[in-house]
Amino acid sequence: MKKDNVFQAAMRVLKKNSQLRMGVILLIVLLCIAFFAPIIAPCDPYKLYDALVAGPGTPGHILGTDGLGRDVLSEIIYGTRTSLMIGVVAASISGILGTCIGGIAGFFGGKIDRLISEFMNFFLMTPSFFLILIIVALFGSNIMYIMIVIGLTSWTGNARLMRAQAISLKERTFVKSAQAMGESRFSIMFRHIIPNGIFPIIAQTTMNVSSAILSEAGLSFLGLGDPNVVSWGQIIYHGKQYMPKGWWISTFAGVAVVFTVLTFFLIGDGLNRVLSPKMDANN
Amino acid sequence: MKRYIGKRALSGLLVVLLSVCFNFTLIRLAPGDPIRIMAGTDNPNEEMIEALQQKYGLDKSIPEQFVMFLGNVAKGDLGYSYISDESVIKLIGEKIGPTLALSLTAVLLSVTIGTLIGIYAARKNGSKFDQFVCSISYVFDATPGFWLGLMMILIFASTLKWFPTSGMVNLRANYKGFAYFADVCRHLVLPITTMVLTQTPYYFRIARSSVLQVMSEDFITTFKATGMKESRIFNKYVLRNAILPTVTVLGMSLAFLLSGSVLIETVFAWPGMGRLMFSSISKRDYPVLTGIYLVTSVVICIAMILVDILYGFIDPRIRYD
Repeated sequence: MKKDNVFQAAMRVLKKNSQLRMGVILLIVLLCIAFFAPIIAPCDPYKLYDALVAGPGTPGHILGTDGLGRDVLSEIIYGTRTSLMIGVVAASISGILGTCIGGIAGFFGGKIDRLISEFMNFFLMTPSFFLILIIVALFGSNIMYIMIVIGLTSWTGNARLMRAQAISLKERTFVKSAQAMGESRFSIMFRHIIPNGIFPIIAQTTMNVSSAILSEAGLSFLGLGDPNVVSWGQIIYHGKQYMPKGWWISTFAGVAVVFTVLTFFLIGDGLNRVLSPKMDANN
Repeated sequence: MKRYIGKRALSGLLVVLLSVCFNFTLIRLAPGDPIRIMAGTDNPNEEMIEALQQKYGLDKSIPEQFVMFLGNVAKGDLGYSYISDESVIKLIGEKIGPTLALSLTAVLLSVTIGTLIGIYAARKNGSKFDQFVCSISYVFDATPGFWLGLMMILIFASTLKWFPTSGMVNLRANYKGFAYFADVCRHLVLPITTMVLTQTPYYFRIARSSVLQVMSEDFITTFKATGMKESRIFNKYVLRNAILPTVTVLGMSLAFLLSGSVLIETVFAWPGMGRLMFSSISKRDYPVLTGIYLVTSVVICIAMILVDILYGFIDPRIRYD
């Protein structure tokens, strides 16, 4: 096998794995849209124009305007920022939490493991959207709050993965020798167990970005979104009142959600296939 | 086996108790006061607030309220709604039927369709069909159900006028007997289609990947080497081993069925548990909310035990002691 640098290795993986390739291309497009939103967007998403519920193709408003006269295309472009931020922050919270808790449960074992496993069962038994809904509806719908709550309710999947990884890794020779050399348990966990077992969690976290975006859209659709930011769920929620005459408001925002969620699904699934080549249909 | 079930039931009971306690405390700690909504005016006078608080036991501390609640549950009483004064059991009973009609049908359809397509796609792994179905499943997986529902209403109800837009029955016509059933079915078509479209990819993916997983096991390779017929290997050995993950996931979805789908029920104005829960959240109707939570968590707990028992029948390697 030829030795090459990280970039070439990444390109080789991308060439072989069509899901990952599609996903990465879409992600680059999304990041560009989010980053250059002020340049791309034709109008200010908060500005109220005179034309209310103007159809797509109206001069100056390619995708029309909503019920308050805001430009739908600009709203969708700015919404990319909100959705990406919610997805990434919520998934990171659940990834970090899941890795630490699962790692501790798997590596330390014994009583700690039993306690944590029972705790996870408790979380597993609560429908997470139900819990998110209750918390956001009762305590308020600040965007920070939404991100934290989504993150806090979705860590169990990561914890289970990391626990399994830790249980198998702690029997390996390099961990045993680190123990023999007198390294502390926490140091072994953070320097050996977690770095070696993190890959499945990265794939899972990418998938969690999708579900976080969907959760936020669902909350906004129920009228529980943060009213101070533009988000796709809220555009759909707003557009629902103008159905069927003002169909474009909800339709295009929904397409944006599908597009973004699809991106992260493709990347997550692509990563999974790289990690377990046995399952790969492309080979 | 009996001892195992007993142990599971005990730990299940404990988890239910814990989670109801958590939920009970959480909703009572939340800002917002049901008394304000019950009083019905912006500035209720002090006596009225006190009278209402005493009537519903809200003047006591949360632990005291919880003990009272548990005592009532033991007597089979889940309390009365603050808003409509109906008993919680009756309110929930009214909504269970519609929720099951919608969600149960949708889950059963999705699991059948998804699993069948998944098995077929796995057999034809890498073919045009496989690639086509896989890419479609990605798209529907990424589609928010509530938005798909809106689009369904837009296309098939508002524009084409094939199906009614929302609700469970036509309130203007007073149908009886079979006509009533037919009317409910007509109202069910769009919500069920929406749910099936968004849930099928999930079962499809699980069935496909677990069949592929089993097909790559060593014992299957051995069978192939002995020259056993491909179809016999598949039907007798692969399927039986590959069905277990589907059973797990189906058990989980059936368990969570009762809490309903808030989003789909909201889009189609379906009178189910999801909407009951949502409206009781926004009106701070504590007894209804706690009641729903208690009922669903008991059902989830029972369903999980049943799934575990079912495993033993499907896979004789699994034994409990």
